[in-house]
Amino acid sequence: MNKKKINNQQRTFLLMTIPVLILFFCFNTLPLIKGVIYSFTNFKGYGDFEWVGLRNYIDLFGDARVGKSYLFTFKLALASTIVVNIVSLVLALGLNSKIKFKSAMRGLYFVPNILGALVVGYIFNYFFTYILPAFSKMLGGSGNSMLASTKWAWVAIMIVCAWQSVAMNTIIYISGLQTVPEDVYEAGSIDGATGWAKFKNLTLPLILPFVTINMVLCMKNFLMVFDQIMALTKGGPAQSTESISYLIYNNGMSGGQFGFQSANAVIFFIMIVAISVGQMTFMNKKEEQL
Amino acid sequence: MEKRKQLFCTLLVPVLSSCAILTACGSKGAEDGKTVIELVQYKPEAVSVFEALEEEFNATHDDIELKIESPNDAMTIMKTRFIREEYPDILGIGGDVNFSGFVDAGILADVSGYEGLSSVKQAYIDMLDNLEYVPTEGTYGVPYVANAAGILYNRDMFREHGWEIPETWDELLALCEQIKSEGIQPLYFGFKDTWTCLAPWNALAVDLADADICRQVNAGTANFSEAYREAAEKMLELVQYSQDSPMAYGYNDACTAFANGESAMYTIGSYAVPQIKSVNPEMNIDSFVMPGCDSAEDNILNSGIDLVFCVTEQCENKEAAYEVLDFLLEHENIQFYLDEQNAVPCKNETFSLAPEVDGMKTYIEEGRMADYQDHYYPAEMSVDAQIQTFLINQDVDAFLEKFDKDWLRYNRDIIRKVEKYEAGH
Amino acid sequence: MKTKVKEKVNWPITVLLIILAVITIVFPLYMTVMIAFKQPSEMTNSIAGILSFPKQWSFSNFAEAMRVTDFWRSLFNSVKITLITVVISILLHSMVGYAIGRNKAKSKFYNFSYLYIVSGMFVPFAILMMPLVKQTAEWHIANVVGVIICYVVFYMPMNVLLYSGYLTNIPVALEEAARVDGASTWKTYWSIIFPIMKPMHATVAVLTALGTWNDVMTPLVIMSGSGANTLPLAQLTFQTQFGTNYNLAFASYLLALLPILIFYIFCQKQILNGVVNGAVK
Repeated sequence: MNKKKINNQQRTFLLMTIPVLILFFCFNTLPLIKGVIYSFTNFKGYGDFEWVGLRNYIDLFGDARVGKSYLFTFKLALASTIVVNIVSLVLALGLNSKIKFKSAMRGLYFVPNILGALVVGYIFNYFFTYILPAFSKMLGGSGNSMLASTKWAWVAIMIVCAWQSVAMNTIIYISGLQTVPEDVYEAGSIDGATGWAKFKNLTLPLILPFVTINMVLCMKNFLMVFDQIMALTKGGPAQSTESISYLIYNNGMSGGQFGFQSANAVIFFIMIVAISVGQMTFMNKKEEQL
Repeated sequence: MEKRKQLFCTLLVPVLSSCAILTACGSKGAEDGKTVIELVQYKPEAVSVFEALEEEFNATHDDIELKIESPNDAMTIMKTRFIREEYPDILGIGGDVNFSGFVDAGILADVSGYEGLSSVKQAYIDMLDNLEYVPTEGTYGVPYVANAAGILYNRDMFREHGWEIPETWDELLALCEQIKSEGIQPLYFGFKDTWTCLAPWNALAVDLADADICRQVNAGTANFSEAYREAAEKMLELVQYSQDSPMAYGYNDACTAFANGESAMYTIGSYAVPQIKSVNPEMNIDSFVMPGCDSAEDNILNSGIDLVFCVTEQCENKEAAYEVLDFLLEHENIQFYLDEQNAVPCKNETFSLAPEVDGMKTYIEEGRMADYQDHYYPAEMSVDAQIQTFLINQDVDAFLEKFDKDWLRYNRDIIRKVEKYEAGH
Repeated sequence: MKTKVKEKVNWPITVLLIILAVITIVFPLYMTVMIAFKQPSEMTNSIAGILSFPKQWSFSNFAEAMRVTDFWRSLFNSVKITLITVVISILLHSMVGYAIGRNKAKSKFYNFSYLYIVSGMFVPFAILMMPLVKQTAEWHIANVVGVIICYVVFYMPMNVLLYSGYLTNIPVALEEAARVDGASTWKTYWSIIFPIMKPMHATVAVLTALGTWNDVMTPLVIMSGSGANTLPLAQLTFQTQFGTNYNLAFASYLLALLPILIFYIFCQKQILNGVVNGAVK
């Protein structure tokens, strides 16, 4: 009797799990496998194709354009992650202090995060092309658009990315700061800790888990940046702002490099896994230390 | 807690009910028995013309419903749809390397059986056939209109200042100096949209390089470092006369600036005229052939097929598709298109040409034309972006060296195909 | 927190934060609204011309933008995709989260399933994109249905992680009591566990909804050119129709931003809570 019940129970659990596993396989693992297979062909996306063995992978390592897109993406991701975390931590400290209109302000500062990245990108595109140069001209600058310069275009993209993700990270930091109990500060102030020292010695260690969360979130999002590129530069000027996702989309779909870009995507995937595993082992070590 | 529960319920009820309704009215086809013909065209400038033609067609045809789509970044959208194996009935594309690729992939149907083809000038059909990687028996499109690229100029401004139309390269540079010295911007570029880099490039390259240079390189008898050097150097000279930071502005911005009289000239094709006129309908524009050579007789007009209609192999109702083509090829519809778009017709009839191509008319009549060089460039090589890079770095050697190297890499499958064909014939 | 002592307001920081918010957040929105209401003839190349109030507040740009982008249909598609995705995610992911969460400690199969699904988080969309385009087309779901299924799968790793994590807080005793009363596992789940997980449902709903509502890439590759647009995708598709008319374009952008802004104003608290919960867990 009892045994039968357990079997029934197990059957229900299996019925709950297996269909979903199949769905997951079909739309995640299966395309992944297909992507790997396509990476060994010279498929254009339509028409016939031939097997080309490892040619795509060999080309990939000699392709300056692909190399540039990796450099750009990592540069953008790293710089944005640092900028976003510093800005949002400062902002969170401000919003968490004894200020007036606290909740209204928190609400306002979160607005950028709910807006679609593409439309935000279009709006900023106008801002960078017309408003900012006009401002700089007024102040005696050259009036050049950042988006037109191979040196500065990535900074413009970073600003737009940061504008949106600071909102998110600030909220997470605020909730982190709220977990710091008041008596820690009281004990600290007896010891005479103030300002920077108070922050560094008391607050920061306590919110360290939140810092790691934010770092991981940021890094992951920025490595896959696409919408902002699409709206702001379309990879220009001089192919200096092509992110990996953008290159895969653009050349894979319209450039007739379905096979070649599949190889690129496979490498990208391996890199993401490596980075994630690296980050997690690092995090685990840190947490063990604490 | 109670409040949240309420919120949840109020949200959930419409959600679930709408789910039920929405899934019920998911997809619907042509319900009234009409044959639907879908045409996807790639020209953003011609959106309004096609909207008008679509309306006119549907008002006069009971059995066929024509649907014309003009998406943004149409080439990417079209190819994404091919990846999905979901083919429109008719494609309106340019006579360029995409056409070559589609023919090679067997996407396009042979339309040599279509009667309307006989009314198209043979020169344009030849131009189309030349685009095929490997010569075939059939013809895979109906050339509709051609365009011409050179330099557009502000006629009123030229008349007012008494400037002369330049016929040689030195005269052009002298003219730019002259305009500049009078405090006017000689040229305005929209290089943020990389493809606009190709307009002056093509115009110079047809003057200075062989028309079949790409085939020569594929056959291994020439290289670009030699063939394109002069064009590249002259391109740099020309860009000196641009507005501040030409990479900051796109095609739309440049058209607007030219329309508002911010510059005297604009190196672009005749296809830009409607865009310019949408900003300033009163504007008096004319054009001249890019004077890339040192003597006037050597200049050649850069002209190619701007729009060719192709029927896809998968089109289920070819008769209906041909009926649509018949409609588009009617004299008055072509004239309507020409009036709106300032294009050059491919049909062998007499049309009145727009005043904006006055300066190119003799070239068109004499047939002193050559196809755009970029119609042979593979899309994934992104020559437009390479030219943009070149204009920023100003390094002729690096540009040409990369051009030669990339060319061989991106074309190796085609080169092999050509070799195989040659060996077999 | 409850016994809050009235403390002195830190005015310098308050003022500083207000100024900062005005510059970084209010200004771009203000610019968008101003440009959206103006006519092209009112736009001069100076900043004053762009940022001043329009001569008259006319909605003609908005009417035109709605016509050009087929606003109501795009909105309808966006709402449809987001709502259905959220509902399916809550029902399906919580169920799997439950089955896996309750068994993964003692069963290899469930532990494997858990790791299998959660590791899907590392798979970037870029590698799935091209095969998915082909696959959805082959299976005749290169439409709204395909997009929804993709979303349900993309959000599965995160949501399963969230649900099975939340489950550790719910004592097994509750279910066992129900089972003793003769209720089946299926029934126990829906009548007892599912309602208890309500806070997590809210989190999942907010995170999934924000992600799907604003996403461009998935609908772009799966259903572009089919005539169906989502609200953000419509902005991309109709760039050609906007041409040089930035005022029309901005009216359309504003229309695309409005629904989520309005929703945010009403459900600000739930959204903020949801986001924080999701990130911290």
